[in-house]
Amino acid sequence: MKQRGLAAALTSVVLASVVLAAASLSAQQQVQPVVGDAARGKPLFSDTFNCYACHNFDAQSGERRLVPLNYTQEGFITFVQNSPLPNMPAFPDASPQQLADIYAYIRTIPADAPALRDVPLLSDVLQRKNRAVAE
Amino acid sequence: MAKRVDSASTGSVDRREFLKGAAAGAAGAAGAIVTGPAPAQQAAPANQRPGVTRPTEADARADFVPPEPRADARFIRNPGSDYMVDVLKALDFDYVAVNPGSAFEGLHESLINHGGNRKPEILTVLHEEAGAAMAHGYAKAAGKPMMTLMHGTVGLLHAGMGLFHAWCDRVPVFAIVGQPRNPTSVINRPHSAQDMGSIVRDFMKMDDEPTNLDVFANIAMRAYTIGLTPPRGPTLLVIDSELQEAPIPDPSKLTIPRLSMPSIPQGDSGAVKEAARLLVSAERPLIRTGKLARTSAGWDRLVELAELLQAPVDVGGYGSWQDFPSWHALYGSGGADYRPDVILGLEINDMTPSVRAVRATGGKTISICSEYLSQGHNIHDFGNYSEVDVAIAADGEVTLPSLIEEVRKQSTGNAQRLRTARGAQVAAAHKSIRESEIDAARYGWNSSPVSVPRLVAELGRQIQNDDWAIVSGHQFTGQWQRRLLNHDKFYRYNGDSGGFGIGYDTPASVGGALAHREHGRLPIAIVGDGDFNFVGAGALWTAAHHKIPLLLIVHNNRAYHAEVMLVQRTAARRGRGNDKVDIGNVIRDPAPDYAKIAEGYGIYSEGPIADPTALGPALERALARVRAGEPALLDVISQPRGPT
Repeated sequence: MKQRGLAAALTSVVLASVVLAAASLSAQQQVQPVVGDAARGKPLFSDTFNCYACHNFDAQSGERRLVPLNYTQEGFITFVQNSPLPNMPAFPDASPQQLADIYAYIRTIPADAPALRDVPLLSDVLQRKNRAVAE
Repeated sequence: MAKRVDSASTGSVDRREFLKGAAAGAAGAAGAIVTGPAPAQQAAPANQRPGVTRPTEADARADFVPPEPRADARFIRNPGSDYMVDVLKALDFDYVAVNPGSAFEGLHESLINHGGNRKPEILTVLHEEAGAAMAHGYAKAAGKPMMTLMHGTVGLLHAGMGLFHAWCDRVPVFAIVGQPRNPTSVINRPHSAQDMGSIVRDFMKMDDEPTNLDVFANIAMRAYTIGLTPPRGPTLLVIDSELQEAPIPDPSKLTIPRLSMPSIPQGDSGAVKEAARLLVSAERPLIRTGKLARTSAGWDRLVELAELLQAPVDVGGYGSWQDFPSWHALYGSGGADYRPDVILGLEINDMTPSVRAVRATGGKTISICSEYLSQGHNIHDFGNYSEVDVAIAADGEVTLPSLIEEVRKQSTGNAQRLRTARGAQVAAAHKSIRESEIDAARYGWNSSPVSVPRLVAELGRQIQNDDWAIVSGHQFTGQWQRRLLNHDKFYRYNGDSGGFGIGYDTPASVGGALAHREHGRLPIAIVGDGDFNFVGAGALWTAAHHKIPLLLIVHNNRAYHAEVMLVQRTAARRGRGNDKVDIGNVIRDPAPDYAKIAEGYGIYSEGPIADPTALGPALERALARVRAGEPALLDVISQPRGPT
């Protein structure tokens, strides 16, 4: 009994410490959000987490275009760590810092593409296609 | 699809040719074997030539049965394989893919010296899988089969994957495997088998092993006709090495059978009439096609039917052939708002999604498909049983004329007015879709590595005035070939592998390019780096050696990238992190240099090309080589996927 009581007391102390530590960490995060670094984010995107496999190296021309990225950094981190989408795996082990770096990298990618009139090759394809359909 | 051989002329000419040789042989000696010294090749016994090891006494003791005289110590006037070649010539083959082997050395020698290496001409291949894939790609582009020869168990096992693809793609390949019968050498024992055909039987339309030359001729004709009768597929002859080598006992008793091709099954007239009735009365008919049209006539008839009904034509995705012009107003499924009430499936082996799509609204489905005539097989490449309303067991392409005729007969003035309105609706949807597709191609346009649409569009600019043909599949470039290149002829696209295993694209492209060579077309292949690394590099040598023009673009994303995604998703489901999923999936460190590999095979090449602005000039240089009759390779570092 005595030992059991001691164990219970110790457990309470440990739990309280964890809660306090978590609260402290949470407070620090709120005060000092992680700052992403695009240079670090690029290899994380292409190599470490292989985001390129679905989204392509350019994050523009893949299965799901990532630009313009409409998430906040916090929203992005939460989504990637807990993705509910069937084709988008969750990355629970990716740290907030790593995901902030990836976020910063994606933000460096041009959000839009050149206008069709500025891509003569594609304009030409569309014109030829329209002519072929009309024939 | 089959080229019908003129029965009177073929039978008599080949028989004359064969009997002429046979008569000469018979006149030479009562026995065909000449044992005395005469031919130069007998100057030195085989076991005294450099590189050939003389058997030891232990070897001799190991085989209790006294060895037969060595095959190359005999001189045979009229070997059985000469007759085999004459039979095969009656089948009008242009090419035979060969990776040499002692199990068919008799047939090999007869093809060269008796047959003159013409019709069929030997295509030297560096792997049997490549040989089978070349025959597969060739058959689709040429509309006639190619032969492929294999050495015993080992050659057949190598070829297995190529034959499997041909089976899944419903394409005829005329395969022959040599059988070392009663082998006395330690090497040939594992190359022979009690039942050779069983190795690949699960994906062959038929296989057989003739016991004498009469039976060989019979089985060769059967294999050809069965292979070309829908649903088409590969066939296998197992040819005993002794049957090839032994002299023909009495040549005057052998004849060359006349090829008699059966007509292709057409739809029952009553069922076709009912199908036409449903289509004519439909408000929103949709035509879906699978492996339908490999001829100009089939292509034209499908266009005729679609225009007559003003019905959109959905040619499907992976695994389908082209069947219908990709830049036609009726191409596609009619847009998101087009809810079909009648779906006509032409050579669709699984109508279940169509049945599901119309069932809720009381719609009807029609299936005209030769798959109904297929017999049971081990491979699950046949479709689900589907509750279609009109099921017609017949070939789709040859049934089209009677269906068109019935639709014309049953059409009324009111139906024609409805069609005009429907056509306008479908055309408007098509316009919207094509504009949005072109718009999507802008994204990543200037990216490095090169985007898939940029790669296809740059190619399209260079070949718009050529008579081109894409001889690879489009599994790894999505729909971008169809969107950005005007597929306005039945031969513009040769289809995917059928079995969706990689390793098909590069060698099958060489086979397809060979078929297009005689028409002066410009063959182009876009193959994945994963595919190229299977048996593709050796196939390049065949293209170089036989001067087969082909532009081969390696769509190089340095990974089996689809598998990267799959392992990522699995790791995520299991909560194990995603930082190791490239293990086993990427082709880096070192990244192979495909241009250097091609150069090593004697082929003009450039790459790696990662800068999109460098791609156009590189294509121009490589295409100049191809137009001059050479193969060429471009290694393009590419984005893994096209935008959707």
